[in-house]
Amino acid sequence: MYHIEVRHLKKYYEVHHKAPGFWGSLRSLVRRETRTVRAVDDISFTVAPGEIVGFLGPNGAGKTTTLKVLSGLLYPTAGEVRVLGFTPHERQPAFLRQITLVMGQKQQLLWDLPAIETLLINKAIYEIPDDEFRRTLDELTELLELGTLLTKQVRKLSLGERMKCELAAALLHRPKVLFLDEPTIGLDVTMQAKVRQFIAEYNARYGATVLLTSHYMADVAALAKRVIIIDHGHLVYDGDLETLVQQVAPYKVITVTLRQSVSPSVLKPFGHVLAANGVKVSIQVPRGTTSRVAARLLQEFAVDDLTIEEPPLEEIIQHVFTGGIREASPDVA
Amino acid sequence: MRYVRLLWLFFKNSLLVEMEYRVNFALNTLLSVLWLGVRLAAVLAFFVHRPTIGGWTLPEALIVLGLFNVFSGIIDAVLRPNMDQIVEHIRKGTMDFILTKPVNSQFLASLRVFVVWNLADVVLGLGVIVYALGRLDFRPSSAQVAVFAALLVAGVVIVYAFWMLLVTLAFWFVRVSNITELFSTFFTAGRFPVTVYPDWVRWLLTFIVPVALLTTFPAASLLGRLTATYALLSLGMAAGLLVASAAFWNYAVRHYASASS
Ligand SMILES: Nc1ncnc2c1ncn2[C@@H]1O[C@H](COP(=O)(O)OP(=O)(O)O)[C@@H](O)[C@H]1O
Ligand SMILES: [Mg+2]
Repeated sequence: MYHIEVRHLKKYYEVHHKAPGFWGSLRSLVRRETRTVRAVDDISFTVAPGEIVGFLGPNGAGKTTTLKVLSGLLYPTAGEVRVLGFTPHERQPAFLRQITLVMGQKQQLLWDLPAIETLLINKAIYEIPDDEFRRTLDELTELLELGTLLTKQVRKLSLGERMKCELAAALLHRPKVLFLDEPTIGLDVTMQAKVRQFIAEYNARYGATVLLTSHYMADVAALAKRVIIIDHGHLVYDGDLETLVQQVAPYKVITVTLRQSVSPSVLKPFGHVLAANGVKVSIQVPRGTTSRVAARLLQEFAVDDLTIEEPPLEEIIQHVFTGGIREASPDVA
Repeated sequence: MRYVRLLWLFFKNSLLVEMEYRVNFALNTLLSVLWLGVRLAAVLAFFVHRPTIGGWTLPEALIVLGLFNVFSGIIDAVLRPNMDQIVEHIRKGTMDFILTKPVNSQFLASLRVFVVWNLADVVLGLGVIVYALGRLDFRPSSAQVAVFAALLVAGVVIVYAFWMLLVTLAFWFVRVSNITELFSTFFTAGRFPVTVYPDWVRWLLTFIVPVALLTTFPAASLLGRLTATYALLSLGMAAGLLVASAAFWNYAVRHYASASS
């Protein structure tokens, strides 16, 4: 049993150019000039219960569109979608009760009121009994470190505080499936880390399935073992994040701080020298030989410090988009 | 039951927001009174040289005016603010949050905010009706009051459903206030009993833009002048329009592709 099943999903938008204003709209109703945008073009994947999946792709790749189809907001142009056994676009109450949608760029909180008012409305909407409401609220307050934020007017909260309250409002009914579209966008680094940690804890505590899109690779690296990468509406990779890193970037970066500077040519035999700023040197070496090279460096030079790092995830993803994955991934659809 | 509780919460929230602007509250009530004065003056002007217009005496016409005030209060307190809200939801894409909730989305989107102080017009309108009945020295029978109440409710349903049919167009053209302004123009015709208008206008105001059903019909029923056929027509129109507006809303939602990202 999967929580999310997507088979050959396509979502095309018909965009019509229209003249500005009311009459322009009316005219375009009669005579349409349309163009088709293939936002999602034949993607398939499944997500098991309790899994956290990172959904990656450059701007306009079709991530938001996919999440909207999954949460029942958009009709698929073609293909089959099932979430918790339901067909999302039928928007059956029993389905909507078990999912939630959080969008970093939009908010459901009432702007002029304290966030608690929105929570009370959601309590009524989802018919949450008083004691359960209290229990969930206590838990969310603890996990999100809400303190007294809920009783402050939403418009007086910072962006990060608002996102915390937004998450509380979205999770009050303890959904089984979470669709999170860029939940950390615009937040500062500490707040990003907090939101991330919260999502991980929520997932661990309730076994909820999470499908998460993000601009920030750190989010995905910290949360999701599995990533799905799409580009131009096509699925480019679906699998382990670690495997992806190994396949796409079969090298690591060794950075050494030497006691005294040496000429880069001396370092050449060790690997591809990425940077040499005086005593600090970065060398790119094949994955399998990393420890051997590190040992030799330590042997042959007076070394103050040595670190071995994965290449930055951004770089890897970039590599995927420029076509580096095709021969590397076994999971290409 | 859940819907009643939600309505109460929405109402309470609207009040909470308005409390912040208490000066507005006083100002708005004053404006309501002034507006009623202007409307009264307009009706009185017609009676300066005649004892009746369209077969209605002044106090009788005042019942129509009172009803007009009631409905303009409802439009300003409920319909117009929610229209603005819906347009905003569509423009910003926050309609997504309404459509992913397990309740009727039309209810959630259209009865969410109230400008509570505009309900002063409703109270004032009812006051005018009571005053007019006093002037007539007329005590309607309980049956007449019951029919009147039913038609009043039907009127509320009609104005809501008709208005929502127009507002739902916002899913296609984001600026619908032009269209509802057109309705408002027709609506002002409801200040007078429809019998003052030529036949074709009366027909238009009954069947196309059902303004007569809001003001003239309930007033006539209160005075015991409305035939059963017309009373049933009003109830039928209310039911029909409500079904139509729900169907159109669902159709619109199906075609909704919210603003990107
Ligand atoms: N409502 C819409 N109407 C027309 N085109 C859209 C709409 N929403 C998104 N698109 C287009 O579909 C593509 C995918 O968009 P989106 O799913 O928002 O991508 P992402 O979330 O990955 O940035 C983009 O080219 C975007 O311009
Ligand atoms: Mg997006």
